[in-house]
Amino acid sequence: MRTNWASATAIALLLSLSTSAAHAEEVTAWRLFISDHADPKVTVIDAIDGEKLDTFEIKGPASLHRSESGRTVFAVQGSAGVVAGIASGISFEDHGEHGDIDVEAPKFAGVEITGNKPSHFVEHGGDFAVFFDGEGVARIISEKSVLEGKPDFMEVKTDAPQHGVAVAYGSHVLLSEPNREKPDELPVGIRVTDKAGAPIGGIHACPDLHGEASSGNILAFACATGLLVVSHGDGSPAVRHLPYADSLPDGKTTTLIGGRGLQYFLGNYGADKVVLIDPTIESDSFRLINLPTRRVHFAVDPVCAKFAYVITEDGQLHQLDVVKGEIANSLKLTGPYSMDGHWSDPRPRVAVAGDKIVVTDPLQGVLHLVDATSFEKTGDIAVEGKPFNIVSVGGSGQTHAGE
Amino acid sequence: MSRTLKLAAVIGAITSLPIAPSVAAAENLRVVASFSIIADFAKNVGGDRVDIVTLVGPNGDAHVYEPKPADAATVGSADVVLVNGLQFEGFLQRLVEASATKAPIVELTKGGEVLRNTEEEGHHDQHKAAEGEGGHAAAAEEGHEEGHHHHGESDPHAWQSVHNAELYVKNIADAFCAADAAGCDTYRANAKSYGQQLEALEAEIKAAVAEIPEDKRTIITSHDAYKYFEHEYGIKFLAPEGVSTESEASASDVAALIKQIRQDKASAIFVENVTNPRLIEQIASETGLKVGGELYSDALSDKNGPAATYLEMMRHNITTIKGAILGS
Repeated sequence: MRTNWASATAIALLLSLSTSAAHAEEVTAWRLFISDHADPKVTVIDAIDGEKLDTFEIKGPASLHRSESGRTVFAVQGSAGVVAGIASGISFEDHGEHGDIDVEAPKFAGVEITGNKPSHFVEHGGDFAVFFDGEGVARIISEKSVLEGKPDFMEVKTDAPQHGVAVAYGSHVLLSEPNREKPDELPVGIRVTDKAGAPIGGIHACPDLHGEASSGNILAFACATGLLVVSHGDGSPAVRHLPYADSLPDGKTTTLIGGRGLQYFLGNYGADKVVLIDPTIESDSFRLINLPTRRVHFAVDPVCAKFAYVITEDGQLHQLDVVKGEIANSLKLTGPYSMDGHWSDPRPRVAVAGDKIVVTDPLQGVLHLVDATSFEKTGDIAVEGKPFNIVSVGGSGQTHAGE
Repeated sequence: MSRTLKLAAVIGAITSLPIAPSVAAAENLRVVASFSIIADFAKNVGGDRVDIVTLVGPNGDAHVYEPKPADAATVGSADVVLVNGLQFEGFLQRLVEASATKAPIVELTKGGEVLRNTEEEGHHDQHKAAEGEGGHAAAAEEGHEEGHHHHGESDPHAWQSVHNAELYVKNIADAFCAADAAGCDTYRANAKSYGQQLEALEAEIKAAVAEIPEDKRTIITSHDAYKYFEHEYGIKFLAPEGVSTESEASASDVAALIKQIRQDKASAIFVENVTNPRLIEQIASETGLKVGGELYSDALSDKNGPAATYLEMMRHNITTIKGAILGS
């Protein structure tokens, strides 16, 4: 493994003037984790200077997920039947008036979760739930266990293999309910269970369940009929159904992401639209945004809460103003990537690393960098192979000399 | 006073923006209040000349409020934004940034005496970030530096002292005058009139407390929202949660509190309108104290409740406290 991380990751921005913190430095560090469309590897790049930090050999092509804390990145290798945890090397400690940042080399965490066809990966409250479609089983593990290299996971079983999802929700688990009549089709609802898998109450109907996200203290599942909205109830999760507005055209959401800084959800809705959802209001919960061509991928901006980003098949990156509910800016970034063909063909993916929007361009073998403030392209980073899925971790914090 | 510091010395999360130009006289002032108690003050000062939108409404908990895109739009079109400050509204900075508002952000605690946050050091990182999933290639949602709610070194619940409420009202009148000079005389007159009601309220509270024996003036609530009340009127409040409801009390916190309740011979225990009553009910069960009712801390009740205005809230609280103690 390369280990030039120490020289590349941090930029000291200012020195504290206080006597007690005379050796405190403000440090910013961001890392990009990129999987390859064809090769079983994860490349780690310093997002600040563009240098490659490391390459992790894994067992199959992977989709990537980062933990809420940013301390862990997971490579879900569906075809290889394994989920590998990678310690990002960047961690924070909140001290109230300031936060400390610790920057180390990224490394395998030493925990792999294996099973048949791992698919949906969901974190809630520091617990990760991986659903194994081929078994109809969810395996749940805490971030603490992963980072300590302890494979201390628990299993929760559903009745049948399914393209399902599970969420560890405090002392409960939310589990997808398989379609018993048509086992090859999407789940039909959500069941609340205790940690041992014992059902609590009935099934909350959610036909064609696919897509889950949380924003603030609300969790949502996407259904053919609307959203299932989950919040903290009195002793157990409170689940309610939010139907799609009558004003929406025919369609449904199958991919959902949650806003950060502002509480909202952003979902797909038809091939060339996205929908902004505020599940806390009774009317006008859904705002549809038309895109110029079919959508390839979308992401929210965690720092500038006002914006989300969508890349479309014509190679344009669109900046969505989620307050106004409209496209604020568009920028041609890649060549065309048709949405015809297989769903998993190599196409761009979007991530945000601080003030940079990063877009993978698999067929060109580069990452495109866009300044999040000016929304202008600022450069490219070459990556071997076909850079595909991408997540970023990082932020700013203080370091203290002598610690 | 050792436990106080001037707010001017405190660096808030939000810096007040330049005052916006005065609005046309024919239009009402568009005012955003961060939570219900401030909205009530603003209504009393602004009267018919202002239209008020409240972000965190009756019985809402501003400590854990998650702003929506619609809130950003509301703030973006406001003439004046009234906030408590002292990092009470942990959501404020990101909301103001998202709104791109040009309105002044007016911290109503400005110029007042501020109590230190006595919560023990070692803040828990409880920030609720979002994560997304769905589809086979999930979108990326990242960052650590956003979404945090750092509670400062000051206790933000300054409105629990009626003396401080008078300052809130003065600051609101100043802000309204700056934004709407034509209405300034009205705002000043309204503030003066309301100030007289506040003075009468304060006298009522002091008289009620005087009727409570000094050795019975220790009570329990859910979170540390009443230190200003304690400081001003001499009722000692203990609570399992700190100044924010965002961090839950640990088992050791609760055990220590139960021990202290027994040592201090607490007279009564109360649930709060913005918190889950379970923990208080558990403590009541373990200490043999009877829950003496519901106090209103960080939010008013709805219009049909017993604390629909600030004046009603403070009267309800002292009446409930006095009744529970003297009836115990």
